[in-house]
Amino acid sequence: MSVRNTSAGGGDRVGGGEPTEDLLVEENQSSCMSLSSLMTASSVAGSSMSTEMPRKRKGSMDNQDSRSASIPDVDMEDDQNGSDGDDQHVKMKCIREPHSQIEKRRRDKMNHLIDKLSAMIPTCNPLSRKLDKLTVLRMAVQHLKSLKGSSSSFSEAHYKPSFIPNEELKHLVIKAADGFLFVVGCDRGKIVFVSESVMKILNYSRAELIGQSLFDYIHPKDMGKVKEQLSASELYPRERLIDAKTGLQVQADLPVGGARLCSGARRSFFCRMKYNKISVKVEEKEFQASSSKKKESQKYCTVHCTGYMRSWPTSQLGAEGEGEAEKQDSSHFSCLVAVGRVHSHSSPQVNGEVKVKSTEFTTRYTMDGKFTFVDQRATTILGYLPQELLGTSCYEYFHQDDLPHLADRHRKVLRSKEKIETNCYKFKTKYGSFVTLQSQWFGFVNPWTKEVEYIVSTNTVIAQASRSGNKSEQSSNSKTSEEDGKKSLPIIPGISTTPGSMIYAGSIGTQIANELLDFNRMNSSPSSGNVSPFSLPLDKSPQIYNQTSNNVPNGEATDVEMPGKSSSEDEPQGAAFSGGETLMAHLSSGENSQLDLDSVVGPGLSSLSNDEAAMAVIMSLLETDTNLSDAVDFEEMHWSL
Amino acid sequence: MTADKERRRAISREAAKKRRQVESDVFGDLSRLLPVQPSVQANLDKPSIIRLTISYIRMHTLFKVNTGTNAETSHGASKYGRPLGKGEEPQVCDGGWGHAEKEETNMYLSILDGFLMVLSTGGDVIYLSDNVNKYMGLTQTELMGHNIFDFAHPCDLEEIRNNLRLMAEDVWSDAKRDFVMRIKSGLTNRGRSSHLKTATWKVLHCRGRLNVCASPSSASCLLLTCRPLPLSHTLLSTHTFTSQHSMDMRFTYCDQRVTLLLGYSPEELLGRSIYDLCHMLDTNCLTQNHLNLCWKSQSVSSQYRMLVRGGGYVWVESHSAVIPSVRPSKSRRSSHQPLSILCVTYVLSGVEEPSLQLSVDQTVNR
Repeated sequence: MSVRNTSAGGGDRVGGGEPTEDLLVEENQSSCMSLSSLMTASSVAGSSMSTEMPRKRKGSMDNQDSRSASIPDVDMEDDQNGSDGDDQHVKMKCIREPHSQIEKRRRDKMNHLIDKLSAMIPTCNPLSRKLDKLTVLRMAVQHLKSLKGSSSSFSEAHYKPSFIPNEELKHLVIKAADGFLFVVGCDRGKIVFVSESVMKILNYSRAELIGQSLFDYIHPKDMGKVKEQLSASELYPRERLIDAKTGLQVQADLPVGGARLCSGARRSFFCRMKYNKISVKVEEKEFQASSSKKKESQKYCTVHCTGYMRSWPTSQLGAEGEGEAEKQDSSHFSCLVAVGRVHSHSSPQVNGEVKVKSTEFTTRYTMDGKFTFVDQRATTILGYLPQELLGTSCYEYFHQDDLPHLADRHRKVLRSKEKIETNCYKFKTKYGSFVTLQSQWFGFVNPWTKEVEYIVSTNTVIAQASRSGNKSEQSSNSKTSEEDGKKSLPIIPGISTTPGSMIYAGSIGTQIANELLDFNRMNSSPSSGNVSPFSLPLDKSPQIYNQTSNNVPNGEATDVEMPGKSSSEDEPQGAAFSGGETLMAHLSSGENSQLDLDSVVGPGLSSLSNDEAAMAVIMSLLETDTNLSDAVDFEEMHWSL
Repeated sequence: MTADKERRRAISREAAKKRRQVESDVFGDLSRLLPVQPSVQANLDKPSIIRLTISYIRMHTLFKVNTGTNAETSHGASKYGRPLGKGEEPQVCDGGWGHAEKEETNMYLSILDGFLMVLSTGGDVIYLSDNVNKYMGLTQTELMGHNIFDFAHPCDLEEIRNNLRLMAEDVWSDAKRDFVMRIKSGLTNRGRSSHLKTATWKVLHCRGRLNVCASPSSASCLLLTCRPLPLSHTLLSTHTFTSQHSMDMRFTYCDQRVTLLLGYSPEELLGRSIYDLCHMLDTNCLTQNHLNLCWKSQSVSSQYRMLVRGGGYVWVESHSAVIPSVRPSKSRRSSHQPLSILCVTYVLSGVEEPSLQLSVDQTVNR
């Protein structure tokens, strides 16, 4: 029996500076280091100490001294096993550090721990001089004794000693989970038990809820869903499993039958639950019980319920036992034991909403400036319903004077990763008047493809300074806007105005977008010119507007379907994933590319099983750029293609 | 070597032995004071003993500080530092449920399908509930006292650091935390294994809050329930649908149920990006989800709105994972799998604002 083999894997063995411990220690350290070599290189130095998992050795406590007789034996064994172990662990061969280094590290770590410990102990702290190890340990013993003395938890024999008392653990769990435990009978949904934390979440006391029907507190539209979850009948939908390895659905029949529910069957669903609004007014407090009940019916919060079905033999229930009607059969009471958690986003608001007229709304444009999404708040500001704006170009609404600067911003936002602020500009409302807005634009970049997919605009209304001045402005504006269609627009740099072509406001946007496409096309290197199956053309407009391609400054014959790949010049940080895309393209196009992952990622990866390998591959690929803005060019790596 | 030197050597060896003996005894005393199982206790090595002692003291400080705030919400007596028998209600008064407290706690943890983790602001794992063994393959005593930065994925360190810090928004949002991180796990599909080559990363969905203490500031900690994200999903409700996406989040497949829930036919959705189908204000949520998927391979989104065909939107939540998009076969090397994203989306609400068409994707017929 080898001591070494009883422990699994690397770990720090207790061993002081005993020379006889050398071999043992070294081997342990070497397996420690293998663990750390599996992690990134940067953490090797510190991690070989810190990645240790305290592996036990039998009687490891006193191995240094009292067993001095046995130690050599142990060591001999280990020595022999070491050579055997070497065969086993030959793959984990690593540099053998000088023994002194290992020992030093061990001592340092121990000292570090002792320091930490002394910081924790109140009696150690006031003493400014650093205490020696033994004293600190002794004081720790004293301290623990004093802590233990005030609590009786460890003397309770029938409890399995846990690190912290259950009461406290419960508090912690509740605090972390932010949920409440509840048990409802399956038959009628009667709330049999609810934990006190429900008060914090739904603002109902336990007393109010116990004995009530759960359905009284659920949004009417969700009742069907909840009934289904509680139901034990044969009509219950079969459990469907999605196997992540294959993405396929696997039907699995629940063994439902007879009167007994399958114990341990999990349930998970969302439902809207009523919560009791906190009444602020003093006079309402008196009537809280009744009046708030009426008010609260409008307020719901989304609760995520997860739990499992349990079948209690009724003999256990005693006083709390349900009436005959609740039982499924004469001996069992079926119920759902679940935890309800509220998601932070749908937490109930304390006070009623005060409707303030919005001064802000968001919109989304395609690359060429057409509205694809309009926030409903826009209606109160602009007068248009979202559907009226969708599909139209934003340039149709911009005031003529603002077109040059907005066009310039548009160009900028397509090329930059930052948010671009516009100056104040005028936007035509439905009624013909103009409202002054100021917007923040940025190009939304798909996290995977790193390409700009659309432009997001946050628009804020800027209050008008003087009303009267505005009116006269508006009237003159409306006049000029009528003339817009007839006369040509002011010179906007880059937008060509060749005679014979009607310049509509809308075409400004498309021209700007086309500019970008051409620019990218020109700058994209041949090797990245492969069309990835994943990136479809950004929007269909280039197809349509390329008929007016003679307007495009470069005058290049346009190849429509080319997706706008990020040029390596503009967006170096895109290289990482674009390279990845190319990789994918190779893979999915079935080319016989031998990816020598082992040489890139590290030996031994190929021995992982399929799903682990998939994950490991992803991890490794993405690990190489810990920061997405690092320019990692995958093509530099030696894929043998 | 002279006899004199020999003798001196022997004396110093004896002295050293004695010192070590004394030290070991103290360690022994300390270990016996720790609230761990005797079998575990006997096998602890010295650094572990110190680590666990530090944890124990820290937890105690935490509770002492928090008993004040817990007083109004708990009716059980805190066993730390508070004298009992002040007329306080007994610990179990839940109407005859017997060992309710313990049951309740165990229930919480098993229902949440995870374990509790308490981290100090410096990242030290002060406490882990003992069921961590079931999920991570490593026991409570092995992990406690170490620093999380030592066994979390290097790419996630920054995110963990951010979550440990107090942010401005925490003032009114209750310092809630919800993030995904990867931890080294000793579990493999063959059961617990410590073979280093098969040590895997486990993706944990962590939710909780930052508990801030002004003084002592050492009592500030991050409380988390950590749930390993499953690789296979059990669909238990009809208000869900599954979909598959390419890595840029465009649909490559969608389940028929989406028609009932959102009004689109599966064919209509193919090739469309999920970003186009969702409310713009939720883009951040989607982006975070997408990034988690790209970096960590699994994610749970927070709630966001998906636009319903013809108008309106529903609130949804998605649980997703990156999977190989082709059935892995023996003939191909596993490293060649192209990847895709598998999503299970729960629809949380009914259709809101059905007459409102916010996006061109709701209106356009493809």
